[in-house]
Amino acid sequence: MKNPYYPIDAVIEEIIEETPTIKTFVLKPARPIEFRAGQFMQLTLPGIGEAPFTPSSSPKVTEKMEITILRTGKVTDALHESEAGAKVGLRGPFGKGYPLDKLKGKEVLLVGGGVGLAPLRSLIHALLDKPSDYKRISIKNGARLPEELCFNDQYDEWGNAAPNVDFTCTIDTPASGWEGKVGLVTTLLDNLDIDIENSIALSCGPEIMLKFVTLKLLEVGYKPPQIYLSMNRKMSCGMGKCGRCNVGHYYLCVDGPDMCYDKIKHVPNVFG
Amino acid sequence: MHFIDSTNFERLLKKLSSEGELFVPVRNEENGKLSLSRVDAFPLDENVCFDGYRTVEPLKGFAQFLRSPVAEYPSADSDEMADPDGFPDYIVVGARACDVNSLELIDRIQVEGEFIDPFYKIRRDKLLLIAADCSECGDSCFCTLLGNKPWPEKGFDLSIAKVSGGFVVDIGSDRGTAVFEENKDLFTETREGQIKARDEIRERVASELEQKNKDFPAADKLPEILRGALNDEVWDEIAAHCVECGACTNICPTCYCFLLFDQKLDGEHFQRVQSWDSCQVTGYARMAGMLNPRPRLTDRVKHRYYHKYDYLVSSHEAIYCTGCGRCIDTCSAGIDMRESFKKVKEKAKR
Repeated sequence: MKNPYYPIDAVIEEIIEETPTIKTFVLKPARPIEFRAGQFMQLTLPGIGEAPFTPSSSPKVTEKMEITILRTGKVTDALHESEAGAKVGLRGPFGKGYPLDKLKGKEVLLVGGGVGLAPLRSLIHALLDKPSDYKRISIKNGARLPEELCFNDQYDEWGNAAPNVDFTCTIDTPASGWEGKVGLVTTLLDNLDIDIENSIALSCGPEIMLKFVTLKLLEVGYKPPQIYLSMNRKMSCGMGKCGRCNVGHYYLCVDGPDMCYDKIKHVPNVFG
Repeated sequence: MHFIDSTNFERLLKKLSSEGELFVPVRNEENGKLSLSRVDAFPLDENVCFDGYRTVEPLKGFAQFLRSPVAEYPSADSDEMADPDGFPDYIVVGARACDVNSLELIDRIQVEGEFIDPFYKIRRDKLLLIAADCSECGDSCFCTLLGNKPWPEKGFDLSIAKVSGGFVVDIGSDRGTAVFEENKDLFTETREGQIKARDEIRERVASELEQKNKDFPAADKLPEILRGALNDEVWDEIAAHCVECGACTNICPTCYCFLLFDQKLDGEHFQRVQSWDSCQVTGYARMAGMLNPRPRLTDRVKHRYYHKYDYLVSSHEAIYCTGCGRCIDTCSAGIDMRESFKKVKEKAKR
C-alpha cells in the first residue's frame, strides 16, 4: 500500500526572483511527476511543514517543476530564505485541474492578479501548446505596481504566440516610468471584444479580486457556469480527508481548487 | 442465532486476549458511566459491564489515533507503507450501535475514493469488534432521532445482547464466523425465550429513547431545516455560550478531521504527524496571511452543524451523527444539538 503522506524528495535547482516578494523555485524531484494544469502539489520544507501550490510550469515537463510563490506565511518565509541546492519534498498532484476539455473551441478568457498568474501560467503553457484548439485565448493580468508584475519577460512571447492569442496587463495606480494601462484588472473586462456566449472565463488571484472579477463578468454577460475561480482555502491532506478546505459541501483539494462559480455561488462568504 | 453463557463468554475473551489487546467497558463506581479499559488479567473485574449504554469515550480512536506518525523523511526512496505486522491488534468488546455506525461513516472518508489512508485502513482491518445491545439509554442519547436503533444492525464481527445467564450472539462478518467456528464448543443454539427476552429489552429501550426525544426534530428533516437557515441570527444565540474548547469534536465518534504537522527528529530527519483537530478553534481553517473563511465563533459553531447534517449528506450520502449524545454530555456551555435544531426550526426566519 502506498503512503500518501510521504513527500518525494526534491532539490531546489534554481531560484528566479520574479518580483520583490515573488520567487519561482525550479524543483527537480527524485522521480518525474505528472500533473495536469491547475492541479496542486503539497510542498514540504523539512521540519517547517507543508503548503499547497499549483505549479506554474508546463504540464508537459515532468522531470522539473516550477512553483512560483509569494512570501506570505511560515512556509513561504522559510522558502524565500532557502538557497539553490536545498532539499524539499513534494506530494501530489492533487485536485481536478483546469477543465481543459471544456475549453476546446471556446473563447478562453484568463484573468490573473498578482501571484495568481502563476497557476494560470501552467494553463497558458497547456493552451499555447496547441492554440488552434481554441477559438480565442485572451489573457488579462493585473498587479498593484509595475515591479509586482510577474513573468513580465514572457508577456510578448505569449501575446505573439498565435493570431488568436492576446495579452493585456494593467497596474492598479499610476507609477513613474509606466506607460501601460492603469486601473484594477476589472477595468480590462470593460468593452470586452469577446463572443461572451461562446466563452469560458478562468480567474486566479486574491479573494477580493476574484469577487470583483466575478461581479464584473456577470455584469458583462457571463453566466455562472461559464466562470471558473481558483479558490483559496486551507488545503492540507490533499485527499478530501482532513476536512478543512470545504466550500459548501465541496472539498477544494478534491473538487477544485478551481471551482465553477455555478457550483459555489450560494455559499455564504464564498469570497471570505 | 447462538447463545453463550457468561462463564463461556469470559473463556472466549480470555482466548481472544492471547491474539491481541482486549478492551471492555468498565463501570465507574462513582458515576455509573462506562469507559473502555484494557484487560490485563482474568478473571474479569466485577465492574466489567456488557449491558447499560455507550462508553464515555468514542470508538474512533482505535482506528484513527489521537496522534499518529504518518511519515518520516527523507528516508528510503520508496513510499511503500511500513509492514502492517507492526500495528497492534485490538479487540473491542461492548461497542454500541452508535459507535459501530460511526466507524462505517469514517470508513467512507478514510478508505473510500481515490486515496486510502493506509494507517486507518490497517488499524480498521485489524480491529475485531464485538458489539453489544443497549439495555438502558442515557439522558443525552438520541440515536432513534437519526433513524438508528439502540442495538447493532451491521458493521460488527460479533454482537452480543445480555439476557438471563449469558448472551444472545449475532454473527456479522466472515471474521465473526471464523471466531465462532473456532470456539463452537462454547456456544449453544438459542432457545426461543432468549430471543424473546432480548427483543423485549430492545423494544423497551427504543421506546424510552423515542419518548425522551419526542419534542425534537427527526433527522430526515434536519438537512431541510438547516438549508433554510444558513444566514439566520439564531446561530448567534446557539453559539453565544460556546467556549471554543473543541470537546464536542474530540468526543464525537464521527468527527474525523485532522491536522498534519511536521517535527524534527534528529539532525536531518523529520517526522510528519497526523493528529485529531477541531473545526471549532480559530486557527483550524486559517491560511497564510491570516485569511480565515470562518473568523467568527458563530461561523465555526454553525459549520459543525452544516458539515454533519448538510454538506456530508450531499457529498457522502449520510448524516455524520449517530445520536450518541456525547457532545451534549461534554459541553461545558450546555449546548445540546437537539435543542439547537429545535431553535433553528422554530426561530429561523424563512
